[in-house]
Amino acid sequence: MVEQAEDQEQEVSDGTSQAPVMDAPGGGTSAPADQDDVTEDILEISTGGKSVEIGNFRIFLDLRMPEFDMGHCKAYSADNLRRDEGSAFAVVTDPVLPTRHDHIQFLTGMHMAGQIDLIDHEIAYWPPFGRNTMVLFYEKPSGGRVVLGEGKKPIIDEHDISTVVVEPIIGVLQAFADKGLAHRNIRAGNLFFGDPLRQKVVLGDCCAAPPGYSQPLVYETTARMSADIAGRGAGTPADDLYALGVTLAELGIGHRPLSKLSDQEIMDLKLSKGSFQAIASQERLPLILIEPVRGLLCDDAEERWGFNELNAWLDGRRTKPVQSNTEKRAARSQNLSGRDYYTVRALAQGMAKNWVSALAPLREGTIEIWLRRGLGDNDRAKALADAMRQLQWAGADKRSAEDVLVARAILIMDHEGPVRFKGFSAMIDGVGYMLSYDVQHGRGPQRFADVIVRDIPSYWFGRQEGYSSEVQKLQQLYKNLRYYIQQQSAGYGYERCLYTLVRNQHCLSPLIEQDYVVEISQLLPALEKAAENASEDTWPVDRHIAAFIATRLEDDIEGQLMAMQNPSDEVEYSRAIISMLAIVQWRHGPDNLQNLSHWVARLMEPAIKVFHSKARRERVETEIPKLAKRGNLVELYNLINDEQERRKDQSEFVEAVAEYSEAESEVFDLESSGPARLELAEKVGQQAAAFASTMIALLTVSALFLIHIF
Amino acid sequence: MARGRSPKKGRSAFSGLSVVASAVLLFIVALPTFITLVVGLLPSMVAFIFDRSPGRTMARCVFGLNFSGVAPYILELWLVPAQTVGGATQQIFQPLALSIMYGAAGLGWLLYLAMPPIVANVLNLSAQRRVGELRKKQRTLIKTWGDSLIKEVDRSGN
Repeated sequence: MVEQAEDQEQEVSDGTSQAPVMDAPGGGTSAPADQDDVTEDILEISTGGKSVEIGNFRIFLDLRMPEFDMGHCKAYSADNLRRDEGSAFAVVTDPVLPTRHDHIQFLTGMHMAGQIDLIDHEIAYWPPFGRNTMVLFYEKPSGGRVVLGEGKKPIIDEHDISTVVVEPIIGVLQAFADKGLAHRNIRAGNLFFGDPLRQKVVLGDCCAAPPGYSQPLVYETTARMSADIAGRGAGTPADDLYALGVTLAELGIGHRPLSKLSDQEIMDLKLSKGSFQAIASQERLPLILIEPVRGLLCDDAEERWGFNELNAWLDGRRTKPVQSNTEKRAARSQNLSGRDYYTVRALAQGMAKNWVSALAPLREGTIEIWLRRGLGDNDRAKALADAMRQLQWAGADKRSAEDVLVARAILIMDHEGPVRFKGFSAMIDGVGYMLSYDVQHGRGPQRFADVIVRDIPSYWFGRQEGYSSEVQKLQQLYKNLRYYIQQQSAGYGYERCLYTLVRNQHCLSPLIEQDYVVEISQLLPALEKAAENASEDTWPVDRHIAAFIATRLEDDIEGQLMAMQNPSDEVEYSRAIISMLAIVQWRHGPDNLQNLSHWVARLMEPAIKVFHSKARRERVETEIPKLAKRGNLVELYNLINDEQERRKDQSEFVEAVAEYSEAESEVFDLESSGPARLELAEKVGQQAAAFASTMIALLTVSALFLIHIF
Repeated sequence: MARGRSPKKGRSAFSGLSVVASAVLLFIVALPTFITLVVGLLPSMVAFIFDRSPGRTMARCVFGLNFSGVAPYILELWLVPAQTVGGATQQIFQPLALSIMYGAAGLGWLLYLAMPPIVANVLNLSAQRRVGELRKKQRTLIKTWGDSLIKEVDRSGN
């Protein structure tokens, strides 16, 4: 998939438009034939032709616009049904890759010079995919694409690059930086002329895929290039400026720099020579662009040209000279798996690639000695020695401790680089997108879980110098992630991490995955649809939905999640689920959810047990179908959660239990007191007989006296 | 313990002494009455001798009815102006008189035998009725609260 995406990107950049970029979710593979049939039917029914109406737009499925494909996402011609002027096109995003929420919110409906206008965005059913996805509607740039194809002469003269390209892009980057965002999709292949006279360029899409996902490797900084494609991270304006430097180089030389080299070769070259030298040694840069390219491709982000330096260059002023390669080179090499390394960053990359063989030189201390003697880097050597000492304290899980040691050693070598652990490689601000990619592309969440459980990010944070509020925020976030991943119950686990890290991640529950639920307000309508075919024994809330609600809902639902920890307690489990759904409906509607209500009603049997009284249960059972018919989950929940009624029921039940127990013990006493009763009867009987006898005697004597007297 | 028992023993000794003193006095003052009482109350005396149960309820039973049987003959004796030992002996040894006196004593003994089973039956019937009432109450509770009541009772019992 990654390779496919890269290949497709290559084709787009080259200006070749013969091949479709993405025919199915995940890119490249075409939809099944039967799905196509369904698609046809839907199109005919809903639109009456080969077009589909989404929001305020009509998209023509047979009018592809490959010249406006954004990265691996296909572009289609679209009509704005609300506005006559202007022309729009639609970019259909890949549903198995998350889009960028903050960027979409920032750009939608806003005109910004230098950035393609994002008119609107919608989540809608996309017939070729047979499922919902996000569609972005852009204003068509009237000048067309800047880079038409490999080998073709650049359209922009090298002397005009500053005014046509750099000026508008600086404006965009400054606007993004003010918002605390980075574009992360700046490349020559993503530039369009904003006007027919081709006097200014506009940057293309930056919302449709994870940050840096569509970027060729050469456009990524030395810090980020070794991360997996989906884990390159949100980045900073400095990363955008680096990409701008490569863009200038590409526009200047007429083709993508280092395009003849493989990714691994580019990486090795950049690590060994530095980015600028790597390009300058292989390509002939125009003289006028050497200064900005050198400044923008500085591998030290602190030294790299910023907006001030670029503006100064645009104004024709001289700027401070920049050292193109700041990476310290060792006097002698460190060998690893038959290859010699001279820089720490290259060695870190080598260790990540040769995970198993990296342990031996670490344990033998050869890398530590190399750091001390070869590089004279005592700080790193000391940090490595500390990490080694901690390995000695490792308990029974020696193998895991060894893996952690390698990961820590990599971070010591390259503290600005990605978090790397046994094949996993993602920037600290790209771990979420990496997880999303892994989960949706069959790799599963295990690699991410390993990284978080073994607390690798905390080593990354420990190696950062100085104070950064962004790093502080990330550190707090990762503490929470560790807690989430350690919890086994629904609402936590990797699912919670995923929705916490990636704001635009759609809910991956099998029940509603096809509906592309990104916002909490979409959840219940999607479940309502799923309820039509839901089997009777499944719950409407699974691990994904619980985590999605926990992350996206404004209210605290920890209580409900706690109750869900024990599925064997059916009463509390079902109450928690109904409560969660009821809160969502109360907050976000819709008011009528008949199918979902009936589904919930079917599963309410255990929740009814919350009442002890048979009469109350019967009343609730009679009420449930009536309320389910009204489609109101809140009313259904209130029915079983009437606190006053529950308390009354509980206290009466306690009384009844006491009464029953008392009766039972009295019966037991009566039934087991036979011999004692006989004893008592004998005693009482004898006393009664004696009393009676005495009374008879008294009466006889009295009677005799009375007879004698009268 | 010894101190607790001594007043009872003293009372019993006093009571026995008073009976002997009364008998001696009666023997001196009214010998015919004494003879009638001794012969007539012979079953009671036997009962008092053999009944060692606390409270001597059997002896008291026998005595009560035995005395009721003897009382008319004592009264008859007292109504004769000149009481003689012969008259008393003649009166007392008539078969009817003996039958009445001793029969009454026998009735007293029968009363003593019959009363405990009657009381036991009354107590048993009362207990059965109470058990019935309690079971009915439990059935009503189960009808109101269902099986959860039994489960809760079992749970709390365990």
